[in-house]
Amino acid sequence: MAQPFALGPTARLFDNDWIGPCIVSLIAILAISWFQPAFLSSFNIFVLSSAIAVNMVIALGQLVIIGIGQMNLALGSIGGLVAISFVGVMEKFGIPVPIALAFALGIGVLMGMASGYIIARTMISAFIITLAGLQIFKGINLGITQAQPFYGVPDGVKAFGQASVLGPLPWLLVPMLLASAGVWYMFNRLRIGRHILALGANPHAAELSGIDPKVTIIWAHAVSGLLAATAGVMLVAKLQIGQPTIGDDWLITSFAAPVIGGAVLSGGRVSVGGTFFGVVIIAVITQALVIFNIDPFAVQIVLGALILWAVGINRLREVRIAKLQSMGAKT
Amino acid sequence: MKTIIKAAAGLLMGAVFAAPVFADVKTKVALVPGGPHPYFAAWEKAGADAMKDFQLGAADYKVPAKWELAQQSQLLESLLTQGYNSFLIFPGDAVGTTSVAQELVDNGANVIATAGCLKDPSPALFCLGTDTGNSAYLGAKELIRAMGGKGRIAHFTGFLVDPNTQLRIDAVQKAADETNGAVKVVQVIADIDAPQPAEEKINAYLAANANNIDGIITTAWVPAVVAANSLRKIGDKRIKMVGIDHDEVVIKAIDDGFVDGTMLQNPYGQGYVGSYVLDKIRSGCKLKADAPWKSNALTTKFVDSGTVFADAKAAPTYVNAMVGITKDLKDKFDKDFLACP
Repeated sequence: MAQPFALGPTARLFDNDWIGPCIVSLIAILAISWFQPAFLSSFNIFVLSSAIAVNMVIALGQLVIIGIGQMNLALGSIGGLVAISFVGVMEKFGIPVPIALAFALGIGVLMGMASGYIIARTMISAFIITLAGLQIFKGINLGITQAQPFYGVPDGVKAFGQASVLGPLPWLLVPMLLASAGVWYMFNRLRIGRHILALGANPHAAELSGIDPKVTIIWAHAVSGLLAATAGVMLVAKLQIGQPTIGDDWLITSFAAPVIGGAVLSGGRVSVGGTFFGVVIIAVITQALVIFNIDPFAVQIVLGALILWAVGINRLREVRIAKLQSMGAKT
Repeated sequence: MKTIIKAAAGLLMGAVFAAPVFADVKTKVALVPGGPHPYFAAWEKAGADAMKDFQLGAADYKVPAKWELAQQSQLLESLLTQGYNSFLIFPGDAVGTTSVAQELVDNGANVIATAGCLKDPSPALFCLGTDTGNSAYLGAKELIRAMGGKGRIAHFTGFLVDPNTQLRIDAVQKAADETNGAVKVVQVIADIDAPQPAEEKINAYLAANANNIDGIITTAWVPAVVAANSLRKIGDKRIKMVGIDHDEVVIKAIDDGFVDGTMLQNPYGQGYVGSYVLDKIRSGCKLKADAPWKSNALTTKFVDSGTVFADAKAAPTYVNAMVGITKDLKDKFDKDFLACP
């Protein structure tokens, strides 16, 4: 009888979803700083960390939906509408920051819940519903702003987006850490997190085991909406402006980072750590293309190719581990 | 009963599809940008002012939800069925927008390509916009003057899909080349006319290279705002900068000495004078055959809507400068371009 295959310590380490992206990130950082020492300057660490902080929260918003095997195309339009609402209520009505923040996050949760509710009630593909949501939320955004930014960002909010919490590390890392810890805790310690993954892995089996798919879907989309709203507010602080186009370019990053980090798009398997390193890879690549003066017309091609390469490395690791397990099972 | 329903449906369809043909005799202008962007915000007021000043049936600013050709085309078709008979359009694509413009013209509407041109041959009456190459060239010359005639320049510019982007890159390079090597364009960062990528890439560049450059020129709205903020954050007044457009962040940075000046464009004049010309054309005026058209890379029927450099002295009164350019532009159309019965 075959013994259960036990991985050694090294193999166990390499069994983690985050290890591949982590190695790629480290190699990229070391290589770039070798050629351009200013890459590790205080200001650049601040710039890089700020970008990573916001993009991580965006990626977490998609990660939660990937967990149930769906996709949220409305993530950016939720973030954009929240961003202009946050600044708009402060500028037009003089509402204090804490109330405006609660209002903005509440809008994000409501928009996410609305998408989730319609998906759960109708069981129409999340792709279609969130595509419709994207248009509706963007339409409301443009109706309110007429494509004109809100400038009335209070100094306290601006300072939050520009100040350091420790050395070159920005304050923006704090909401990122809280969001990451929260999502990790949800997936690993809370029933709703396990329900999300179970539903994503096998909806039929999950339903047979007593999981309510409707409630789970609504929860997942509400959490995703909250994270999109958080990213929208963080971007307002970072950019110091309520730009209506905030969120327009979130889609690729929101999918690329979780996938680089080992998430399975069909659902049931996600990694917060892997997603973090996925975000780091994208941020580092983006900066490297600027620092090394890559032709602007080639930037998109290089970025796409490097993301493909990073995903390929991760996939190779998965295949090798599966092969090792298969060999072990035969012994 | 079925006959009544069919008749009603027929009447409804007839009303909808006949709308452009039997439109209100008054001019109804739709001002349609390629997508949401603060540059075009002045079109809304321009349309409202033109409607009031020239007694138009409408002059409404209509924004597609995204920078996508398909979305803009659908919006234009929808506006045609709603009875708009005159269009100021920023082409979502210099070639791709031609087919929908042709559709509008085939249904009796007039089209002016505005703020960006359609590639010839096109059904547009003409192209009214900033001579982007000239604006970038003049801005680069101002920057070089501020740098004392020598040094290294970084150029931050807009969407790669915008045909103006390459014209701007070439124009800045031309101004540098005229210094016989005293000024070099050391880097062009493009595709950053959106806040997040602009913030990330400009800051990353300055973090690594702020000490290696002497000047920054920005030839798109968002990079100008972000670069002005970045120089303020670094606290660097050694690096000279010339921006573009009139965002209040840029104007304030000029006031505070972080930016040396900005190349003002005239989006208000494009919307206001464009609406006026469309109304004149509908009321029987013709474009003169011997009008003084300019040429650019896309068309031989180009009219420059004007550009002017505003430094610390001129920035506080930039609105007056734009009003002056608009008045000149309208007078130029009356005198040189329109032949009215």
